[in-house]
Amino acid sequence: MLQMQDLTKSYGDVVALDGCTFAVGPGQMLGFLGPNGSGKTTTMRAVFGLIRLDRGAVTLNGNPISPNDRLAFGYMPEQRGLYPKMKAGDQLAYLGALHGMEQAEARRAGLQLLDELGLADRAEDPVEELSFGNQQRVQLAAALVHDPSVLVLDEPFNGLDPIGAETMANVLRQRAQNGATVIFSSHQLDMVEDLCEEVAVINAGRIVMEGNVRDLKAASPHRVIEFESSNGYAAVLDQLDGVITTSFDGHRHTVIVPAELDVRQVLNRADSDSGIQHISYSTPSLSQLFKEAVA
Amino acid sequence: MKTSSTLRLVVMRELRERGRSAAYIASTIITTVLILLAILLPTLLSGSTDYSIGMVGTGNQEIVDLAIDIENTDAEPDQETQFSVTTLESVEAAEEALSSEEIDAALVNGSEILLRSASGASGDDLSGLLQYAASTLEIDRLVATAGSDADVVDILAGEPLGLRTLEGVASEENQARTVIAYGGLMLMYIAVLSYGAWTLTGVTEEKSNRVVEVLLATVKPWQLLAGKVIGIGALGLAQFVFTAVAALVTLRVAGTFDLPAFPTDSLVMLILWFLLGFAMYSLLFGAAGSLVSRMEDAQSASTPLTLVALVGFFMSFLVLDDPDGVLAIVMTYVPLTAPFVVPVRFALESISMVALIGSVVVAIGFIIGTTFLAGRVYAGGLLQFGSKLKWREALQSSDL
Ligand SMILES: Nc1ncnc2c1ncn2[C@@H]1O[C@H](COP(=O)(O)OP(=O)(O)OP(=O)(O)O)[C@@H](O)[C@H]1O
Ligand SMILES: [Mg+2]
Repeated sequence: MLQMQDLTKSYGDVVALDGCTFAVGPGQMLGFLGPNGSGKTTTMRAVFGLIRLDRGAVTLNGNPISPNDRLAFGYMPEQRGLYPKMKAGDQLAYLGALHGMEQAEARRAGLQLLDELGLADRAEDPVEELSFGNQQRVQLAAALVHDPSVLVLDEPFNGLDPIGAETMANVLRQRAQNGATVIFSSHQLDMVEDLCEEVAVINAGRIVMEGNVRDLKAASPHRVIEFESSNGYAAVLDQLDGVITTSFDGHRHTVIVPAELDVRQVLNRADSDSGIQHISYSTPSLSQLFKEAVA
Repeated sequence: MKTSSTLRLVVMRELRERGRSAAYIASTIITTVLILLAILLPTLLSGSTDYSIGMVGTGNQEIVDLAIDIENTDAEPDQETQFSVTTLESVEAAEEALSSEEIDAALVNGSEILLRSASGASGDDLSGLLQYAASTLEIDRLVATAGSDADVVDILAGEPLGLRTLEGVASEENQARTVIAYGGLMLMYIAVLSYGAWTLTGVTEEKSNRVVEVLLATVKPWQLLAGKVIGIGALGLAQFVFTAVAALVTLRVAGTFDLPAFPTDSLVMLILWFLLGFAMYSLLFGAAGSLVSRMEDAQSASTPLTLVALVGFFMSFLVLDDPDGVLAIVMTYVPLTAPFVVPVRFALESISMVALIGSVVVAIGFIIGTTFLAGRVYAGGLLQFGSKLKWREALQSSDL
């Protein structure tokens, strides 16, 4: 269990972390969400001891993290960085060795990973000659080469095409299935919703929402009704008892209501006119939960 | 993982990647070519040398005639060395002719050679030739008078003619020591600055391309810094030795001027101080490199250090003139100037054993302290991107 306990850090007047506390267990994949500047990168750096915390600590199974523990950690920093002139294969072998692998073993593991990521034929190329997206893949390989048991990735989906994103998602899912602890940050909430069972949302250095995505949605006091209609009902719907907000994009109505509200009441009212289709009633999406949480 | 194996990995990467980089190979080749050109050009351009000899008193003609014979035995007629021989009234007249460069050497009474200075290139060759001619004559005479073999050996080993320069009596060893003092000083300065610059840009490079954050997740800052300094130091030393050997070999083959036999202790001292000086400056250059995020800023971050080296370098010329003076003694114990001063004083035999050991101890202490301090600056600087940091800011904000 990787535990962030009361992480607190200020840079001068700027409070980067303000008692951030959450945990991830083996086999779990946690989506770490938060607006810009909320403290995600700072938290991840704390895991690797790259910053000195003002208060609090990151622990692994209840113990402070030692440099030895970190040999089994993998990190993909927000600011990607590899040696531009070094060959992809050499680079992975070097990083693997720094994590305590035998040179030959590290090289083999690196080549196999490049193969999995569709870069088998680029192992002998300097990283600077790869496209941006392919450099990202090498960066992922760099975080994975030593088969880490704790994997921390800062916005790993940034800059990937849909196929690259899917490859990345599959790799992460598979590592978690094999028992690794996986944390990654992202601003692509739909992707996180598909990929993760667990999320933690940080805002201004504090965790404001944490838990299983399904449970969080079920526990939400709100429900979302959506339907299509050519007419604008916004004004009418707003008048209804219990409706919290409504919106209309010229095509589709979205009505947020309290969970306990009888949905038929809304539909009856709307139904008085024809031309309504594609009605849905659901728990809020992760991005709605997110917006509420950080509001 | 053990510290030593992490350090070894960092050093090995530096050696492998930098050692086979086009930049390293090119700089080695260019330096070597430039040095060889500097050595060969004078010989290639000058063709044969012409000598002008002054004679004072008696007993000189025989030696000079034989010397001319020896010099031109195997030469094609149009490539013969031209000798101009003048007779001078007195030793004073000879000295005057030497100073005004009318003659390259004077022979006095068949027993003494008078030269302008100990390191004048053509004068050296000429005096060697005269010595050879004189000993040949001596041997002939001994053979004629049936002298013993021991005498012959004596003559072959020794130099039958006395040697005097306008600057006083000069021994070969003194001459070698002066060459070492001057040459060593130059080389030290060039090596410290150019290899220091490698460390500087190497560190900034790692910071500017952000690979450093991945590395610091497993490697401690001081390991990264020390590994870089050791790796670059080894490559620098290899390049240094390679060009030096190429230069020495060429000097011998081309015979531009006679190489004195270098005293080994001076050479050892030079290499020792190369290592000490390089370590001190490189650690500081590495720390300076960690203060900036962009390659363009690297030079400005290192300006204070470059200035210190420059001042040390120029002050050492004062030391060359007065190796026992107060300045020399003070600079011996100032770590950043010692590499420029101690080898010079040692070569000129003006430093005591105690002072020497003292200066080495101070330097090593400084290196240990710097590793710690530069490591902290480096650690503080590495993960702070953006504008250039001040040394103090980096020291205080060190998070690692
Ligand atoms: N080295 C630093 N010096 C000064 N302030 C910093 C430093 N690092 C982070 N901060 C501040 O701490 C706060 C949190 O930053 P952090 O990078 O952790 O945010 P984030 O959640 O990763 O944001 P983003 O989504 O934009 O990546 C920000 O206000 C940032 O300006
Ligand atoms: Mg961030």
